[in-house]
Amino acid sequence: MDAGLLEQMLLGALLGLSVYLPLRCGQLSLATPGFFAIGGTVAALLSTRVPALAGSGSTYPITSVLLEMALAALLTGVLALGLGRVVLRLRGIYLAIATIALVEILRVVTLNLEFTGGALGIFGIPQPFNSAAGYAAFTLALLALICWLCDRLEKTRPGRAMAAIRDDELAAASQGINTADTKLLAFVLSALVAGITGVVAAHFLNSWNAKLGNFDASITTLAFVVFGGSRTWLGPVFGGLLLTALPELLRPVGDLRLIVFGAVILVGPLFFPQGVITPELFKWFKPRIGGITTAAAQGVKQ
Amino acid sequence: MEGLLQLLFNGLSVGAVYSLFALGYTLVFSVLGVINFAHGAIFTMGAYFTYLLIGGAVGANGLLAGLQFPFALPFWLALPLAGIAAATVALVVERIAFRPLRDRGSDPLLALITSLGAGVILVNLIQLLVGAESYSIPVGTLGSLPAALSIAGAKVRTVQVMLLAISGLLLAALSIWINGSRSGKALQAVSEDPVTAQLLGINSARVIQIAFGISGFLAGMAGGLVGLSISIAGPYFGIGYGLKGLGVLVLGGLGSVPGAVLGGLIIGLAEACVPADLSGYKDAVSFGFLFLVLLIRPQGLLGRPQANKV
Repeated sequence: MDAGLLEQMLLGALLGLSVYLPLRCGQLSLATPGFFAIGGTVAALLSTRVPALAGSGSTYPITSVLLEMALAALLTGVLALGLGRVVLRLRGIYLAIATIALVEILRVVTLNLEFTGGALGIFGIPQPFNSAAGYAAFTLALLALICWLCDRLEKTRPGRAMAAIRDDELAAASQGINTADTKLLAFVLSALVAGITGVVAAHFLNSWNAKLGNFDASITTLAFVVFGGSRTWLGPVFGGLLLTALPELLRPVGDLRLIVFGAVILVGPLFFPQGVITPELFKWFKPRIGGITTAAAQGVKQ
Repeated sequence: MEGLLQLLFNGLSVGAVYSLFALGYTLVFSVLGVINFAHGAIFTMGAYFTYLLIGGAVGANGLLAGLQFPFALPFWLALPLAGIAAATVALVVERIAFRPLRDRGSDPLLALITSLGAGVILVNLIQLLVGAESYSIPVGTLGSLPAALSIAGAKVRTVQVMLLAISGLLLAALSIWINGSRSGKALQAVSEDPVTAQLLGINSARVIQIAFGISGFLAGMAGGLVGLSISIAGPYFGIGYGLKGLGVLVLGGLGSVPGAVLGGLIIGLAEACVPADLSGYKDAVSFGFLFLVLLIRPQGLLGRPQANKV
């Protein structure tokens, strides 16, 4: 497979995880592309304007990329902390629309500011890797790390609190869960993932402009999660990988590919209302994969 | 004084289109509680239908290259026909993207995704059929009407007056229908409580279809009017309006008909007031407004507050 496509798929999976985090807590936030755009802009500005980061080698140093990631995470985290307090008072569709508004405001401001390069954007972002395969390996490691963290989150107290809020917010609150803080945690984590992903994407794409964080991106990333499933981290990863690859895989059908893409997101929720990947799927698979031990363990539990 | 009047006219005529657009969203939202993301694409279709019906020829880039209807209708006839065609498209969208989910009793939020899928299909279908180039409705379309009028010293484009007049007419007809007719009252009942409405003998499925039909008709007319006053900038041009419409919708209050009208006019006027050297920020105005309103009054200007149900 083409390493460039693989890299795009991995970035799609990361963005899917960013949308999944608040959604698992029952909060439909479409702010991911906004934070993604901030991360990308931070990387583009730092790597093209700060000579100290460029290093002496022929390629841009990885340590500088990591530094950009840290700064992007800091910026998006602080921003999400401030904004989250305010927007998370809204529910359901109101929250979705407020976050769309945020993304649009950010896009228009980036488009008009002088130092972000206006409509043209920033060009010539230095390359830390010589090939797309290098990017793919780096992003795969990043994705694995974030998946592991999400898996830990799902199995610990804050993660379970998130699932409880999703099922019934009032009931969760009455059980002593601090719903406001838990929702804020999910929102901030989502922003961090999107910001870090933006840094990698900016280097990979070599140029950055305001168009990369628009409404279309909000909706496609949401489609990753709804298609893949929002109850376990594997869902958005699966949805992100598959739906990013789909338009490319459909290239043989030529002009029809976006129409087929539309048809897939139209039909997917009809057959998989919970998304393709659900926790029940694992229960069904586990005795077969894990062999006798898990089956026996389940028997003991029952 | 003339400047102020001019500003008022510009703002109101743009705002009227936003209102028409948001009304379509609001009708569907009031009966189903979800937003139809294919609405922008239906608006775009209305614009292309109008262009074809007045005798416009398709450019060289689509599958239908060179197609031209053998007749050229006058604009006043082409516009409502385009509205009806757009309404048909909206009914198809309801059938394939909304009804299957309802039949299965799925989470209503899924309709956001299915309607988005329908929108993607429609937009790309347009691109495939007629190409991505922009089309403009010729100036001579309005017959012997002058291009601009002079009202109290302010120069106003005839198109703007028409936009305002037709939107006003449609809004009046809509409110008479909702409050005065049997089917309009059925719509109100379904938006209040679909299950109870069904128990009282109202055919909810039928009411939902009516809501989609009218919503598509309004979107199609709005598309034709914008196509006439600005131009059809390509298959994607409805998306920007779709987003603005969302802003208007929430500003006025989700599901509130007078709210959608008020919201549209406010945002149109606010955009017209943005000075020329800051015009790049114009698109942020409606979203800035929206954001503030959501924080101060989450239910919108004329909406009802959400209940915190157990």
